[in-house]
Amino acid sequence: MVKDRNSFIFRLLSTLFVILAINFFLPRMMPGDPFSTTSADEVGEDIIVMTEEQRLYYLNYYGLDRPLHEQFLVYMKNLMKGDLGRSIYYKMPVRDVIMLHLPWTMLVVFGATVISTVSGVVLGTLSAKNRKKGSDKIMMTGMIAFAEIPSFLLGLILLLIFSVYLRLFPLAGAVTPFADYNGPAEQAWDILYHAFLPVVTLSLSQLTGVYLLTRNTLITVTTKDYIRTARAKGLGEKTVWVRHALRNALLPVVTRTGFMIGIMMGGVVLVESVFSYPGLGMTLRSAVVGRDYPLIQGILLIIAVSILICNLLVDKIYGKLDPRVGI
Amino acid sequence: MSLLKINDLKCHYLTDIDTVKAVDGISFEIEDGEILGIVGESGSGKTTVALGIMGLLPENTAISGEILYRDELISSLPEAGMDRFRWKDITIVFQNGLEVMNPVMKVGVQVTEPMIKHLDISPEKVRSKCADLFRTVGLDPKWMDSYPHQLSGGMRQRVLLAMALSCDPKLLILDEVTSALDAFTRKEIRDLLVDLQKKNGYTMLMISHDITFVSSVASRITVMYSGKVVETGPVREILVSPRHPYTRGLVHSTPDIFVYKDLWGIPGDVPAGDEFKGCPFSPRCTQKIDICSKASPVLMPVGGRREIACHRGGIANLLEAKNLNFSYRLPDGEYIQAVDNVSLEVTEGEVLAIVGQTGSGKSTLAHILANVIRPESGEVLFMDGNVSRGNYGNRFNGIQIVFQDPFSSTSNRFTVLDAVKEPLYINKIGSNGDRLQMVKNALELVHLPSTDNFLRKYCGELSGGQRQRVALARAMVMQPKLLIADEITSALDVSTSANVLRLLKGLQNRRGFAMIYISHDLSLTLKIADRIAVMNSGKIVEMGNSHDVMLSPSDEYTKRLVDSRIGLCCHN
Ligand SMILES: Nc1ncnc2c1ncn2[C@@H]1O[C@H](COP(=O)(O)OP(=O)(O)OP(=O)(O)O)[C@@H](O)[C@H]1O
Ligand code: SF4
Ligand SMILES: [Mg+2]
Repeated sequence: MVKDRNSFIFRLLSTLFVILAINFFLPRMMPGDPFSTTSADEVGEDIIVMTEEQRLYYLNYYGLDRPLHEQFLVYMKNLMKGDLGRSIYYKMPVRDVIMLHLPWTMLVVFGATVISTVSGVVLGTLSAKNRKKGSDKIMMTGMIAFAEIPSFLLGLILLLIFSVYLRLFPLAGAVTPFADYNGPAEQAWDILYHAFLPVVTLSLSQLTGVYLLTRNTLITVTTKDYIRTARAKGLGEKTVWVRHALRNALLPVVTRTGFMIGIMMGGVVLVESVFSYPGLGMTLRSAVVGRDYPLIQGILLIIAVSILICNLLVDKIYGKLDPRVGI
Repeated sequence: MSLLKINDLKCHYLTDIDTVKAVDGISFEIEDGEILGIVGESGSGKTTVALGIMGLLPENTAISGEILYRDELISSLPEAGMDRFRWKDITIVFQNGLEVMNPVMKVGVQVTEPMIKHLDISPEKVRSKCADLFRTVGLDPKWMDSYPHQLSGGMRQRVLLAMALSCDPKLLILDEVTSALDAFTRKEIRDLLVDLQKKNGYTMLMISHDITFVSSVASRITVMYSGKVVETGPVREILVSPRHPYTRGLVHSTPDIFVYKDLWGIPGDVPAGDEFKGCPFSPRCTQKIDICSKASPVLMPVGGRREIACHRGGIANLLEAKNLNFSYRLPDGEYIQAVDNVSLEVTEGEVLAIVGQTGSGKSTLAHILANVIRPESGEVLFMDGNVSRGNYGNRFNGIQIVFQDPFSSTSNRFTVLDAVKEPLYINKIGSNGDRLQMVKNALELVHLPSTDNFLRKYCGELSGGQRQRVALARAMVMQPKLLIADEITSALDVSTSANVLRLLKGLQNRRGFAMIYISHDLSLTLKIADRIAVMNSGKIVEMGNSHDVMLSPSDEYTKRLVDSRIGLCCHN
């Protein structure tokens, strides 16, 4: 038991170390450095053109002229103290930058997780119940075709239709700028209003996966002997489906949800760009463009850690749901 | 009034490839409080019947016929209508498997679930009732909070039983409840079932391929073969005198009934293809006639609550001997009665052993039966005709005899080919080319080489075992319906004789001929015989099922014979 725990912690730490190393070296392998960016045009901010002298000064100021391994050691040491460094672009601690943008991303990702899981399970169940009927075939074909559309393209389409033409939803941002709310309800409404399209886009990108998994697992489960036993007991269709079939079919869906959050953490970068939504994804993008090494490292670290946490959570939840998994 | 009545039930699985007629027109009734057993080998459609009654057959099944529960037609009820009967009236104990119970639900919950649904009962009472049920089936109530995978197979079977009893049903269907269990647990479950039935008067339909288990509980047995009922009747009668060839095969290949005999399954396979019209057992039947492959026999009453489905009315008599007498005149002028008023019957495909000391008249009897000598009085009927007139030794499908001494039955100066070919030659059967092929086939049957080299060998050059095989081939070349083997292994050493005997039994099982096996060696005899006749000074003193004769010999002489055997073989 203790041994198991130790090896588990060891595995976790070594995973973290590898992630940290990649986070550190990857950005530095990109061409250019924070002070010689020329491609800042996309960000749309002022371009500060520096002289070579200034550039060297700043490199020295941020310690970027020191050998790589030294920089890495410093980075690790600071990290131990909980210091993620200072953003070169924002000129403030990386932690504060992240704290500013993380909530928006969490809102979108969790919203999308809930929506895609719930609607995927519901649709999958409907499809499985109507198996061999037309409605199942139509639904399945539609879903599979739909899954072929890349999420940023889907986001663009939604943006064009609902924001540009119909003007039902905002074009950018997470809140109405300079808004004056009459109470928290109105504020919440404004936030949801802005988050709606990004959440929907991200949900749709995951929906087919959940739907197919639910449908196929359910179909397999309904051929199991225990479903026949439940039928024999005269429990009624609803109980048989919900308590016996769905309860078992949800097990793999739970596992999938864990992975899904990881995938969405990646997908959210694109979606946030499309909707100019000020989450971590957008921030990461500008950090990459500006070669803001400390910020890139910080964001990637947060994404990696949250994926790790999600997987841990899923393992725990699965253990609770399936008694067959050893404690 | 019968509790359950099934009329001409047919359940055909329509798969993508073909139609499986899993149940093909069966009818039976179960009286209130009765235990009916359904037996049959794997795939005969037993589970399908059970699922059919419960209305649980998969969608791809074509179902016809009627199922009546207390005179109410339940076979055409929709799912919701069927739920009225499920568990409250009719329950089923499924064959135990890991997935028969929901893997993520505590077993206690699974037992109480139907109670909450069907009985008007409070949650607290449900739990205490569940604990009672657990105790009833011999399980500690503490297991209520475990999951199925935490229980052993026997415990799961008990939970399934508790589950089935939870709503106090009338009719209990038990599908292979003990097949997966060890002998000890099996006995416990059996006793439990008998006990429960006595106390609560459940009506039971017990399904199993294990005829011993079923017959220890049920009062009536229905034998299924390939989706049809081939025989039905009271347990005792079926076990003691099975009338259908399939039932006999089933009973005879059951180790618990035939304790001493080696196991020989029923050879052959169930006919495939849904176009087959004849008796489903005909490919494996040793007594089939023309009509058997054209029309399917119907189940007919044969008296004593028994019914069988067979064109020949069940296992047919092959040979019948009535009041045979024969005496030898000794040199001193006295007569010795070698065969004294002997009557016996041999049925199709059966192995009858005649045992007795040297000089008890066995060989003389064998010679009379084979029409080698004529009896002084009495008659022998072979296939309902008279042997002496029909001369069945000289034709195909007749009677052949193999003698004790291989050196006298095959002449030293004959080649193997001549020795085996001789009967064909004498009886002018086939052309020369045909004969050679028949000889080769016969030699292969008895596991001898059929090379030219071997065919040209002289019998004198062969070993005792080989020579006895040549003698056997000589008999087999005439494709007998009845083979009389007279002490054919007594001149051979132990290992050779065991080999020859195995070969002989294998041949008999595969080709389905009947055999009269004469021997003074009881131990060997028991390995192959279905019935035993014990002879002493010319008389048959005892005749019956081989295990009955062995376990409870009634005649003094038989007792001595049996005792002498046990004294010889068991060193205790
Ligand atoms: N769902 C199904 N679809 C198609 N064929 C089936 C199905 N279930 C059973 N069968 C076929 O029907 C026949 C009878 O099966 P069934 O399960 O009733 O036999 P059984 O007598 O219970 O055998 P066992 O002793 O092995 O349990 C078999 O040939 C089997 O292959
Ligand atoms: S004799 Fe014919 S009908 Fe009777 S079991 Fe044999 S094949 Fe079937
Ligand atoms: Mg079965």
